Amino acid sequence: MSAETWKFAPAYELPHWPFVAPPDLGAGERIRYPVVIAGGGLAGLTLACDLALRGVRAVVLDEDDTVGVKGASSRGICYAQKSLEIFDRLGIYERIRAKGITWSVGRTFSGNDEVYTFNLQDESASQQPPFINLQQFYLEWFLVDRINELDATDLRWKSRVTKVENEADAVVVEVETPAGRYALEADWFIDATGANSRIREAMGLEVNPSRSTDRWCITDVRFKTPFPTQRWTWVDAPFNEGRAVWQHLMADDVWRLDYQMAEDCDPEAISRPEVAGERLRAQLGADVEFEFVWIGPYQYRDHLLETFRVGRTLFIGDSAHVVSPFGARGGNNGIQDAANLGWKLALVLAGEAGDDLLDSYHAERHPAAVENLTVCRRTARFLAPRSRAEHRIRRAVCTLARRHEFARRLANTGRMAQANAYPPSPWAKAGARSVQNVAFDGTTLMHCLAGGTRFLGLAFGADAAALVRLDELAALFPIDFRRVDAADALAAHLGGAAGTVVIVRPDAYVAATLPEATPDAVAAAMRDALGMDERARLAAVA
Amino acid sequence: MSAGNGPVMRTDANMADPDGFYEAWVAAHEGLSDEESNDLDARLVLLLANQVGDPRVLLACIAEAREQGRRRP
Repeated sequence: MSAETWKFAPAYELPHWPFVAPPDLGAGERIRYPVVIAGGGLAGLTLACDLALRGVRAVVLDEDDTVGVKGASSRGICYAQKSLEIFDRLGIYERIRAKGITWSVGRTFSGNDEVYTFNLQDESASQQPPFINLQQFYLEWFLVDRINELDATDLRWKSRVTKVENEADAVVVEVETPAGRYALEADWFIDATGANSRIREAMGLEVNPSRSTDRWCITDVRFKTPFPTQRWTWVDAPFNEGRAVWQHLMADDVWRLDYQMAEDCDPEAISRPEVAGERLRAQLGADVEFEFVWIGPYQYRDHLLETFRVGRTLFIGDSAHVVSPFGARGGNNGIQDAANLGWKLALVLAGEAGDDLLDSYHAERHPAAVENLTVCRRTARFLAPRSRAEHRIRRAVCTLARRHEFARRLANTGRMAQANAYPPSPWAKAGARSVQNVAFDGTTLMHCLAGGTRFLGLAFGADAAALVRLDELAALFPIDFRRVDAADALAAHLGGAAGTVVIVRPDAYVAATLPEATPDAVAAAMRDALGMDERARLAAVA
Repeated sequence: MSAGNGPVMRTDANMADPDGFYEAWVAAHEGLSDEESNDLDARLVLLLANQVGDPRVLLACIAEAREQGRRRP
C-alpha cells in the first residue's frame, strides 16, 4: 500500500432560500390554488417553471431550503437533448451550456480494446447538443433562480407535506412549517417528492420495486487532465479486476468515476478514501494529482407506478418511476414528465380542454416509463452477468465486437436517453413523436413554442390564401400557423412536403401530420389532440 | 468466397432488435446448470444453422468463430 494521503475538495456552498410564512397560516379557512406541487427536485421545479411561463401560478412545497438531496453529493449528471431543449424554452439553457460539459461521443472498451463507439451528433438536427453533463444541484439551482426571476410561482421552503386527501372536487394538503401547520386546497396536486414518496405510499399505491445485487461505488474526483470530454465505459476494465467502469466529466473539472464492485463486497470498506484512492491510482497512474469530491457506494433499484393519475393527483419523476442509472433515463424522464404535463394543466385550467386531457399524461408517460425500464434492465443485465453461461455469452459479444459491426450492436453499456415516442392513443391517433429544436426562418421551434400555451401549425409551402383559411382556426383552437418553405431543413426533419400541415404540440411533439391538409382536417386533428371527441364519446357512454 | 459477390458471411448489422435478442438468449439460460447451458447453446447453433442453410456461409461462420477464439479472450 502506498503512504499517499488523500485530499478532499472543500464542500460546495449551496444556496439557501428563506422560509416565508404563507398567508395560509392563520387564515380562517383553507385557501384554494390551481396547482400545488410537492417536491422541489428536477421534475417539480421544471413543472413549476413551465407553468409560470404559461401563466399558471403554482405552489411548490419543499421540505428543505436548498437544492440537491445530500448537499452537493452525486446524483444525475447527464442531461439529454430533449431536456436541454425544454430548458431552452424555459430560459436556462445558456447557463447550463456555459457551466456544463457538452459531449456526444461514447466509447466502450473491453479489456484494453475498444469495442464500440457512438456519436450522437450524427442524428442531431437540434440547436442543442445530444448531451451536457452537469451536477444535478446546479440544474436545480438554475431552475430556482429562473423561477424567482419570473416571480410567478409560490415557492415555499421548509414546508413538508404531512397528509393528502383526495376529494371529489379538490385535493386537501396538510403542510408542516417552522411557523406551524396549515392545510390548503388544490385543483390539481402533483407528487414530485421522489423515489421514496410518502404521499404515494400513504395512498397505498404499489410500485413493484426491485433492488439489484450488483454493487457500484461512485467516486467523484477533481483533477485536470487531457482526457477527452467523452463518455468512456469499460465492460471489464483491467484496472478494476475485470469489472465495469464509467468515466465522465462534469462541471468544475470534476470527473464521475463509477466502479463496479464485487457483489459480496463490504460497501463501507470499498468506499474508504484509501481503498477508493488505490482504485484511482490503478486507473490514472501515479502522476495525476486529484482530490475527492464525493465517494458513495450504491445498489440501483427500479420501480414503476401502475397509474400516473389518481383523481386530481398526478405523479411525476421518481415518485412514478425509477430505473437503473445506465443511459441517463432517470432525471431526464422526470423533466419530460413535467414538460408533458405542464401544457395540459394550463389548457385544462384555462378551460380550453376538458380534464380528461390529463389522462393522456398517463397514456403517454407510462408507456415511456415501461420502455425505459426495459431498456435499463437490459443494460444492467449485460453489465452484471449472473452465471458462467451469461459470462460466456457476453465474452462472445465482446470478442466478435472487436472485429464485426453486428456484434457491436449487442455490446450494451447503456442506450442513452432519447425523447420516447408515444403510442397511438385517443389524443394522438398515429402516436406522437418528438421534434428536435430545428432552426428555420431565422427562428427556432422552441422559440415559436415559448410564448403561452399554443400549438404550432407548420404549413409547408402554403400559399397566402391557404394560410388565411388556416388562420381562421386560430380563433377556435389554441393554435397559431406559420408558413414554412417546403425546401427548409425543418421540412426534411418532419417530412413536410408542400401542402402538408404538421401540428406541433406545446411540448414539441407532433400531434398530427396532415398531407394536403384542409382546414377541416386540421380542426379534426386539434379536436383529437385536445380530447374533445374523446370527451364526447365518454359522455355518450355515460 | 462467392464469385464476385463479396464476402459470403454477413458481419454488418443485420438484427432488427439486438438488445431484445440478447435478453431472450440470456433468459433462456436461467436456472440451468453450466452443462445444460452448453447443451442449450449447441441446440441453438443447430437451429440457427438450419435457418442459414447455405454450407458456404456455415463453414465461413465456423472458421471465423474458431479464428476469433485464437485471440485472447
